[in-house]
Amino acid sequence: MVAWIDLARAAVGLNMLLLLALIYVWGRNYYHIRSKHTLGLLLFALLLLGENAIAMYFYSLDPLLSAWFSTAVPDPAWQAMMALHVFETVALAVLAWITWD
Amino acid sequence: MEAVLWYVLTSTRGGANRIRILRALDERPRNANRLAEELDLDYKTVRHHLDVLEENDILTDSGDDYGAVYLPTDRVRNYWDTVEQIMESTE
Repeated sequence: MVAWIDLARAAVGLNMLLLLALIYVWGRNYYHIRSKHTLGLLLFALLLLGENAIAMYFYSLDPLLSAWFSTAVPDPAWQAMMALHVFETVALAVLAWITWD
Repeated sequence: MEAVLWYVLTSTRGGANRIRILRALDERPRNANRLAEELDLDYKTVRHHLDVLEENDILTDSGDDYGAVYLPTDRVRNYWDTVEQIMESTE
């Protein structure tokens, strides 16, 4: 049986991959085009990557929180958390789709 | 229009080549073949960029199928300040 925490880790991992793809494109563009817009998009992606990295740390590495998240959080709370993660994944996928063009 | 220009030209993977295409077509309208030769790009890549630029009302074409020449739209001419600003920040 797959635990909710594994699904949450997968969604967060997917968010991080999508953000790395965006950072690759926006970073390369910023290298060539030094504008406020290219810098702004790059910073946005880096900060959102930070957010997901912190979530991953809480879910997987933090000694206190990772133990708590994997044993003590009831399903309805996970379902609510998953909705947030999954909406973010879809939003990032759309952004990556128009950017990888 | 300004937001579209910034996104399509500076924030997508193909942005840098689209700026080169727009710059070449501003000098003189050309067809896809000539553009590919002049910018040393794959014909299919050029076709794709031309389609994206047309879809966003940045370029228009003369309509004669294969020989169609492409040129900037009147609409983008009205926003040429933005285009120049983008071109200037590119190097």
